[in-house]
Amino acid sequence: MTTTTVKSVHGGNDAARLTSRVSVTLVAVLLGVLAVGQFRGQAGVPGLSNLSAAELTQLIANLTTGNDQLRSEVAELSRQETHLAEVKERGETTVNELTADLQRIRAWAGLTEVSGQGIAITVDGRIGGDGVEDLLNELRNAGAEAIAVDGVRVVAGVVVAGAPGALSVENHAIPSAFVIQAIGSPQILTGTLTRTGGVIAQVTATYEDVRLTVTPIESMTLPATEHRTTPSYAKPRL
Amino acid sequence: MSGVLDRFRSLPSVQVTLAVALLVLGFLIAAQIAAEGPRIRYTTEERAPLIETALRLQGQQEALKAEILAIRARISELEAIDPSAAASLRRLYADLEQARLDAGLIAVRGPGVAFRLEDGTTGSVDSLVSARDIRTLVEELWLAGAEGIAVNGERIVGSTAVIDIGGSILVNSAYLAGPYTISAIGPPDMYERLQQSVAFVEFVRGRIEPSGVRLAVAEGQEVDLPAFAGTVSLRFAKPGAGGE
Repeated sequence: MTTTTVKSVHGGNDAARLTSRVSVTLVAVLLGVLAVGQFRGQAGVPGLSNLSAAELTQLIANLTTGNDQLRSEVAELSRQETHLAEVKERGETTVNELTADLQRIRAWAGLTEVSGQGIAITVDGRIGGDGVEDLLNELRNAGAEAIAVDGVRVVAGVVVAGAPGALSVENHAIPSAFVIQAIGSPQILTGTLTRTGGVIAQVTATYEDVRLTVTPIESMTLPATEHRTTPSYAKPRL
Repeated sequence: MSGVLDRFRSLPSVQVTLAVALLVLGFLIAAQIAAEGPRIRYTTEERAPLIETALRLQGQQEALKAEILAIRARISELEAIDPSAAASLRRLYADLEQARLDAGLIAVRGPGVAFRLEDGTTGSVDSLVSARDIRTLVEELWLAGAEGIAVNGERIVGSTAVIDIGGSILVNSAYLAGPYTISAIGPPDMYERLQQSVAFVEFVRGRIEPSGVRLAVAEGQEVDLPAFAGTVSLRFAKPGAGGE
């Protein structure tokens, strides 16, 4: 009788031990899966896994366009390098090549006047500096090659700032009605700005009294910047 | 007290292990849920090939940028003028190097500040760093006298657009994920100027503090900025007067 009782107690302990081991194993497996998930999530490309399919599609479109531009730049630079090497091989001076390169860089950086087709955005009403900067950002995103606000060339370091009615750029007061000019593809610039839910819709939702009109322009000339671009503190890194 | 300890000691070790494991499990589940808060994780099958394509394109972009920098360096060497060359040619070369520096095509170092913008932990959409936040900080730094700025290693130039892609940012068409480091070279009092800016104070008090976005600054240090590695070719704009 006693023996039977002992046996049954032992049998109960075995069952409990088995249940505990199974529980521990299950929890351990679950822990492992979660831990791997966490590590993978952090070790992978940050942020990509958080994008929706639509956002990934938008990213791919942006990367594709950007890479096409970079390939064109590589091709242009390679052509320039080959030509330079040939000129030097012939023992000729590189005056023409240096001049062309200088002209190209200065035009791109806004250090010289440039001309071309593009668009004009007529702004009429009280708008804040942030609203104008949103428009400029979208113009850059759409591939604008040169921009001027109320006749002032916008380059790196130039900011349109101020509250509605007190806008200024480069110490130049901007009136309540002014024009933003941008050189680039008129179709792409217009399409990007005026698309449904685009920047014009957003800016006019924030600044309800502002009227924005986009007009394609056949030819325009934008002045060189007067902004000081030569650095005093930043030195070339060797 | 000793009764409780005795009771604890009498617990089978497996139960203690189980309890500890469950505790860790709880933490992990909580961490997973917190991490997925505002940025919803999509698990549809269609995303896998899209992520692969985006990764491939990012890889190509990095390779193309490295190639551009390498060719520019070789061109610069080819263009370098012999010290015995005519003075006009040497002046032309000096002008070219200066234009490259002014345009952000040369990597630079100098005194400056570095800001770090990071998503907040409140779980709200407002607590995510947006392209607008980056642009505001960049604009304020320019107004405070910055001579050069980079965001996570992407040099800000005249053609730079900063836009939102989901909860992340595109700068110069490069995909950047947070946290975002905005480095700027400028005058020694650049940070003081920034703190005196009404717009910057409003940005910190009206946007950063209420939303939970984390903003940190390191000042008084040497800052390195990379060269811009994108395109400087113009298709529509033609140089006019003063282009030569």
